Amino acid sequence: MSNALSLAASPSPRAGLSAGRGNRSLSLDKLMIFLAFAALFLFFSLTARNFFTVRNVLTLALQTSTITIMGIGVTFTIITGGIDLSIGSVVALSGTVAVMAANLGMPIWLAMVIGLASGVLCGLLNGIIITGLKLPPFIATLGMMMVARGVVLTITNAMSKPAPDAFGHLGNDTLFRYSRQFPGIAYPVFIMILAALVFGFFLRRTRMGRYTYAIGSNEEASRLSGIQVNRVKLVAYMICGFCAALTGIILASRMVTSQPNGGVSYELNAIAASVIGGTSLMGGIGTVGGAVIGSFIIGVLGVGLTMQGASYFVQQIVIGVVVIASVAVDQIRTKKKLVQ
Amino acid sequence: MSETLLRVQEVSKGFPGVQALDKVSFELRKGEVHALVGENGAGKSTLMKILSGVYRPDSGSIIYKGRETRFQNAREAAAAGIGIIYQELNLVPHLTVAQNIFIGREPRTLLGYIDDRKMNVDAAAILGKLNLTIDPATRLNRLSISKQQMVEIAKALSRDSEVLIMDEPTSALTESEIDELFKVIHSLRDRGVGIIYISHRLDELKHIVDRITIFRDGHTIATSEYAAITMDGIINHMVGRKLENLFPPRRNQPTAKKLLEVRHLVQPGVLKDISFDLFQGEILGIAGLMGAGRSELARAIFGADRISSGAIFRDGRKLDIRSPADAIAHGIAYLSENRKEDGLAIKMTLNENVTMANLPEVSRRCSIISRAQELEATRKYVDELDIRTPSLEQRVNNLSGGNQQKVVIAKWLYRDSRILIFDEPTRGIDVGAKFAIYELIERLAREGVGVILISSELPEILGMTDRVLVLHEGSLMATLRTRDTTQEQILNHAAGLQAEAEPLAAATNPQEGSLFDEQRA
Repeated sequence: MSNALSLAASPSPRAGLSAGRGNRSLSLDKLMIFLAFAALFLFFSLTARNFFTVRNVLTLALQTSTITIMGIGVTFTIITGGIDLSIGSVVALSGTVAVMAANLGMPIWLAMVIGLASGVLCGLLNGIIITGLKLPPFIATLGMMMVARGVVLTITNAMSKPAPDAFGHLGNDTLFRYSRQFPGIAYPVFIMILAALVFGFFLRRTRMGRYTYAIGSNEEASRLSGIQVNRVKLVAYMICGFCAALTGIILASRMVTSQPNGGVSYELNAIAASVIGGTSLMGGIGTVGGAVIGSFIIGVLGVGLTMQGASYFVQQIVIGVVVIASVAVDQIRTKKKLVQ
Repeated sequence: MSETLLRVQEVSKGFPGVQALDKVSFELRKGEVHALVGENGAGKSTLMKILSGVYRPDSGSIIYKGRETRFQNAREAAAAGIGIIYQELNLVPHLTVAQNIFIGREPRTLLGYIDDRKMNVDAAAILGKLNLTIDPATRLNRLSISKQQMVEIAKALSRDSEVLIMDEPTSALTESEIDELFKVIHSLRDRGVGIIYISHRLDELKHIVDRITIFRDGHTIATSEYAAITMDGIINHMVGRKLENLFPPRRNQPTAKKLLEVRHLVQPGVLKDISFDLFQGEILGIAGLMGAGRSELARAIFGADRISSGAIFRDGRKLDIRSPADAIAHGIAYLSENRKEDGLAIKMTLNENVTMANLPEVSRRCSIISRAQELEATRKYVDELDIRTPSLEQRVNNLSGGNQQKVVIAKWLYRDSRILIFDEPTRGIDVGAKFAIYELIERLAREGVGVILISSELPEILGMTDRVLVLHEGSLMATLRTRDTTQEQILNHAAGLQAEAEPLAAATNPQEGSLFDEQRA
């Protein structure tokens, strides 16, 4: 049947061989997510007062930056067919480690690098447990979620500590500040943009990125093609740990305190953002761009609903429904494609 | 003895591109064991699936216990008394024997709870009928494979099956377990159950079979009392096919240069001390029945599975192969048997699959992939192999089977492999695509590649190879020169019938270069 199909679809196989985006449906998917985001944005602009103002849009971007960064990271692990549940704990751990290092008198930049390193280390451990002990990623990172949380609570005795003032620049300062009307763009927003560009390029254009898709699509075929599957997975989990740590440092900097109790269940928001953006939990499918748009859908819903006076509880309901609906729509479409 | 239980009349069943069954007829009597044999693809499984209600026939009729029947689904067939035991066991390992036997129709107490006591008593009664001493309360995974098989039989019988279909029931059993199974089959037959027995192991038929029917290419070729037919007769009926024009002319010239030497390869329980050579420009076939270790041998050479001892040499140098990546670095490629399971990344595009094993070739600095180079490389192979696709960036799961196979081949051609192992390269693809793949294999050999061709289809082995290795249960039974052998001889070796190997020197002797020349002259 499939043979007949392909012949019918291409009466002259040579003629239509384009190098262009052959798989139209793929870019169509992304377009639809973007349209959904735009519609949402428009809706709140029309219904909520002060939603579409410079100040509010800047705030929205700042608030969404952390979930976006985490969403980008977790997308890597999900594409390999895995998951990372330890993100929230790593957020708390790395932010706290950075604050503690700064309080020891280290230069701020060095303290932040140490914080990032602690996150990458957690990711590396996740990867080693998954590839070395052959544990399911769900279990490995569930364990890491508890271990990292336990570690951060132990070393701080569960107490928040203030950081040196200079630690707060990263999270609270802005660029391009002209007037009260335009308060400038916060550093975290730039970090988010940079992370999206760098990791987007990495995933799309480098060999390691291609291998990430390959092992998620078919791990055995990848292994038989000579791909070092374990190494690729390690990198994916380290990237996820890095992104979680980046988030943790931004949050600690915004508060100018360590937050050993912070970040709880952040991983679920990150996974939701990634999934809304079209990442398949089965692996092999997903993009950084999708994760960004997915994060912004969650961000816009949060801010917009708040401005309309909806409670946090109602927001949770709406976001939950959006997650289910976006995956359901995707499933139905995939099935249709197969039938054709 | 002679009462007819089941009669299949002129049943046909087609699938897109294949006529699986073409007016086949078959008859099963009460209390007989009726063997159904044929090569892979002969239509045995299709008929079994029709009898057990999984498929519905396109035409023809099935008369069961004197009435024309047409089962709508497997449940109906089972309820009517047709039980089937598939090659793979369909049991739940963590449940008890009794729970497995009554799964889905557990006896209830008045309150609606499952009546465990009744279930165990009933199960014990059924097991008793089979003369089995298995405690119904044992967890299934504590039992040996053969005992589990018996439980499967008990499950089928618990529905009062009058027809029992067994598909390769002995493929996972040891000798003594097989004896045990045969005893059970005998007692079933004596109680009047009609048994359809499908097996590739022709040597075991003589112990249990009353009649035999031979299928080939979707046709019934012959039905005979088992006593009235010889093994040669059976094999002749199974293979009797013309080879003309199915294969391209063979112009490759095996040279005397040894490309690959495999020495004393051992994988416990799977491969037993296998040694052979592959010459440059040669197409070497590997034949054998299911479970003989053909794919396992290829995977061991390729580093996909661990070996416990043995050595592999290329161009006289010993190779240290610990992973597929190592094998690939040494110019060895393996085109796996299951394209979808372990050959293709089906969610990815044609382009991405073709370059997967050789991305550094299309990368610039910092391992950044050059899209232009990548597409250029892919386009070359799409043209060369005539891959039918609307675009280079088509997802491969939207391509036909033959085109998918070509994508896998393109991946390895692009890698410039010097040794290519094809594992069932033409399974499930249509005749035209098959021919194209044969042409390609022949051309590769002509260009000096060493090709290993694993195939279940003997005509393919005979039509395409220079020499053929025959495996039986992990042992190398014979190395034959293809032009001097016959399907019958290969089948004999593959079935382990010719236990004492004849002098193999003629085909295994490494100083054989001259022989190839004269053979081609």
